Amino acid sequence: MRKILPTTASWRISIWTTLAFALGTGLAFGIVYLLVAHTIRDRSDAWLSGEAEVLAEVSAHTPKDHLYNRIVREVAELATRELPDERNSRGQKLNSVFFLEEDDGNESPLWIGPGSESPFLTAIQGARLTQAPQSISVEGWPTSFRVVARQVAGPGKTVYLGLSNRGDRHVLHRLTDRFLLVWGGTVILGFLIAYTSARRTLLRVEHITETVARIGSEDLSERLPASVRRDEIARLANTFNLMLDRIQFSVNQLRAVTDAVAHDLKSPVTSIRGTLESALCTEPNENWRDSVGEAIEGLDRLLDLLNTTLDLAEAQAGALRLDRTAVDLSSLTQQLIGLYQPVMCERGHDMKAELEAHVFVNGDSALLNRVVSNLLENEMIHLPHGCRINVQLRSQEELAELVVEDNGPGFPPEIGAHAVERFVKGKSSPGHGFGLAFVDAVVKAHGGSVKISDRPTGGAVITLSLPLRVLQPA
Amino acid sequence: MRLLLVEDDAAIQSFLKRTLSEAGYQVDTAGDAKTGELRALEGVHDAFIIDLGLPDMDGLNLIARCRAQGSSTPVLILSARRSVDERVRGLEQGGDDYLTKPFALAELLARLRNLLRRASPAHSDPIRLETADLQLDLVRREARRGEHLLPLTAQEFSLLEYLCRNAGRVVTRTMILDHVWRTRIDPATNVVDVHIYRLRNKVDPHGSAPLIHTIRGVGYVLKHA
Repeated sequence: MRKILPTTASWRISIWTTLAFALGTGLAFGIVYLLVAHTIRDRSDAWLSGEAEVLAEVSAHTPKDHLYNRIVREVAELATRELPDERNSRGQKLNSVFFLEEDDGNESPLWIGPGSESPFLTAIQGARLTQAPQSISVEGWPTSFRVVARQVAGPGKTVYLGLSNRGDRHVLHRLTDRFLLVWGGTVILGFLIAYTSARRTLLRVEHITETVARIGSEDLSERLPASVRRDEIARLANTFNLMLDRIQFSVNQLRAVTDAVAHDLKSPVTSIRGTLESALCTEPNENWRDSVGEAIEGLDRLLDLLNTTLDLAEAQAGALRLDRTAVDLSSLTQQLIGLYQPVMCERGHDMKAELEAHVFVNGDSALLNRVVSNLLENEMIHLPHGCRINVQLRSQEELAELVVEDNGPGFPPEIGAHAVERFVKGKSSPGHGFGLAFVDAVVKAHGGSVKISDRPTGGAVITLSLPLRVLQPA
Repeated sequence: MRLLLVEDDAAIQSFLKRTLSEAGYQVDTAGDAKTGELRALEGVHDAFIIDLGLPDMDGLNLIARCRAQGSSTPVLILSARRSVDERVRGLEQGGDDYLTKPFALAELLARLRNLLRRASPAHSDPIRLETADLQLDLVRREARRGEHLLPLTAQEFSLLEYLCRNAGRVVTRTMILDHVWRTRIDPATNVVDVHIYRLRNKVDPHGSAPLIHTIRGVGYVLKHA
């Protein structure tokens, strides 16, 4: 259902476009109109001035006898006929030219023109006419007259020649009428074209809006149809699709996290609850303490899981704040190997370390401690009894390289290159799949990288590369 | 010793007050920063325990205000935030300490003792430690059980020294990692337990009265029967 309401963007766009168009063309016409009016006036004025000159000349050189009036009248009438007759639709003669010769004496003026001379005489005497043509209005005539005056050489005579502006006005009127007709037509046509094209374009936007609204409320996997066109709206649709991809990825990720955390939380909560419940139901004895202790241990594991999840989320969101200092990776690793050596022995692993001394990196000591301990824990959790673990630390060019390799079963094939992704773990792995993801996130925050591979002879290799600390010249 | 506890959570406030009272401290409490500030400025307390998430003011601001008004009483900060704020790290360097929730009570008491000891100037480092028939020579780094010299590695000696320094008091695995290995990690495996197990084999051989005891769910304590 199309709503054509003044509130739609297409309506607004076409209104404004049309307005601008109409104003622009109107302005252009105004300029043309002024030019034309000016030209017409110039031409009339040139004619008036020329004729008045001739008539004044004639008047001056004609002997003042009884033929004088007749001669002047003849010449004046000839002059008035010089203009082409313009007639209106009813056949009335449009150009009205008058000639008036005024004498200072009491002699009645010589008058050639339409009707009686008296209103003209009054109008002329009212206006102070000069050599330059001037417009005066005459009583009883709807349009003004353009009049020019000439002094006749000789005894105080003046000749006036006047031309009605009616013809000029008629030409300009016709010009205006035609313009308005054409202008109206083009404005309406322009509006229709602007509206249709805006409507068509915006309908595509409308379509995107509807689809996105539906995706937002129903199915996140739906996508906007790809357009063959490569214009802005196609790009908009593309951008939306990319954004939807990311949102869907995040939602899936979040769902996976929530599921995994919920799953991992349920078992300790169940066991804690069970332990406490059975402790409550038995008589207080020495076992009671054990049960409470067991419950606290369960809570600690739960807390550990929560902390690791949150740490990982923070690390992967790039929100880790590194408190960088010069960290001696050699002694840090040595210390942790010392810490883990007994428990490795306990599990029958043979752990050897080849650590280059004084390998310094510029990093967060607490986080790097956790990175190395995570690597060692990872080995311990995943290796079957009685494996060999080799830890090497060396500096290479500008990198500190920490390599942990073992002769265990290697990474399960279903993990492959995804071992550092959150929650990726082998089917039979007892961990919760955070360890290496956290290592990866922290190492990346330090500007390093983690490489994971299987040894050709069997076993896994994890290689950490961290930028070496650059020594400041003293 | 008189303490001021500023904590808005009633449940935490009550169990902390109980624990601290049982440990022999006199405890005053405040539920918000405003009351806390008034009580702190009385100048009668030996240490403050301040929660960071107070309803009316950030705990750090409260500490800053107390310091600005000339109080130099040591502060133990309780924080629910996991990642430690740089400002808190700054305070730590200034002689105060922090604990993130949830914490073991043993650790709270240990940190509090540390804080109070650091604040009192008359404190000298011992060169010998003794518990029952266990003797540690901190200069020669030798340990004897009765007349018998214990064959300890350097690491094992450090661990035993830490237990001896806290003889009669429970220490948690986190505290052990922090003080003996100088690392704040939360291992998912029983790393510390294996060290204790090995140490115990040397310190408490068959037939002798055991000194190292496990407190299930909390940690370890070195004490005579």
